[in-house]
Amino acid sequence: MKKNRLTWSILLLIVTNDTCDSLAQLLMKKGLVAPAGSLGFHEIFGFLSHNAGSWMVWLGVLIYTLNFLIWIAVLSRLDLSIAVPVASTNYITLPILAMIFLHEQVSWLRWAGIALIIAGIHFVSKSARLEPAAQSRGGGQP
Amino acid sequence: MTRILFLVMISESCNTLGQIFFKKSANRLAEPSLKGLGAYTRFLGDVFRVPYIWIGLGLMGAGLVVWMMALTCADLSFVYPVGSMQYIFVLVFSHFLLGEKIDRMKLIGTLLVVCGITCIGLS
Repeated sequence: MKKNRLTWSILLLIVTNDTCDSLAQLLMKKGLVAPAGSLGFHEIFGFLSHNAGSWMVWLGVLIYTLNFLIWIAVLSRLDLSIAVPVASTNYITLPILAMIFLHEQVSWLRWAGIALIIAGIHFVSKSARLEPAAQSRGGGQP
Repeated sequence: MTRILFLVMISESCNTLGQIFFKKSANRLAEPSLKGLGAYTRFLGDVFRVPYIWIGLGLMGAGLVVWMMALTCADLSFVYPVGSMQYIFVLVFSHFLLGEKIDRMKLIGTLLVVCGITCIGLS
């Protein structure tokens, strides 16, 4: 088993995970209704019972749970310090989705940020590819 | 300002430690095959039996609460760039607590991601 390598299937899994996460956030944002006034700590139960009937919230919770499992599956194959930077793809997919579906303007600074993140992910994935050669401990990989 | 910074740092530390515990639990699990739904349902049963998972989830929850507290007293354009510090935290913590290697590629890549998120936060 080749471990610690960012394969395309793992990358796809991470991107799916991130996209679903954005989707769940949108669902939560749409589904959650805040009670009037400020949300104090003692009002939290009222808040919860108020929103317990929303299918959007439940779908959001379901996606979060599935995402968590996918994330653990990713972590069982990849170093944490590789998986976490690569998981920043949601900073790329979210503005692009917002541009397509919400017709939001994406400023040049945001494009610059997206470009930097893509470059960063590229470099980190290079590290993932170098890793098996660089570390010679263990070595018992069939 | 310093109060917000302090809150964000605490939140980041909680999240990073949570991730560390997730990684530790993932290391204990049998590597799931990425194909087939059956593999995932079996995986589901296994995941929640690892005690580290619950520590990780608790830390994540605590991190989220502190993050919310930080958000209520600062605007997103400040909290986002500061929040991207988490990538540095993960790099450092995973080196010292998990023994993961920091090579030049990983360092450059992580710093680029942090810069990118800072740009997005400022835009």
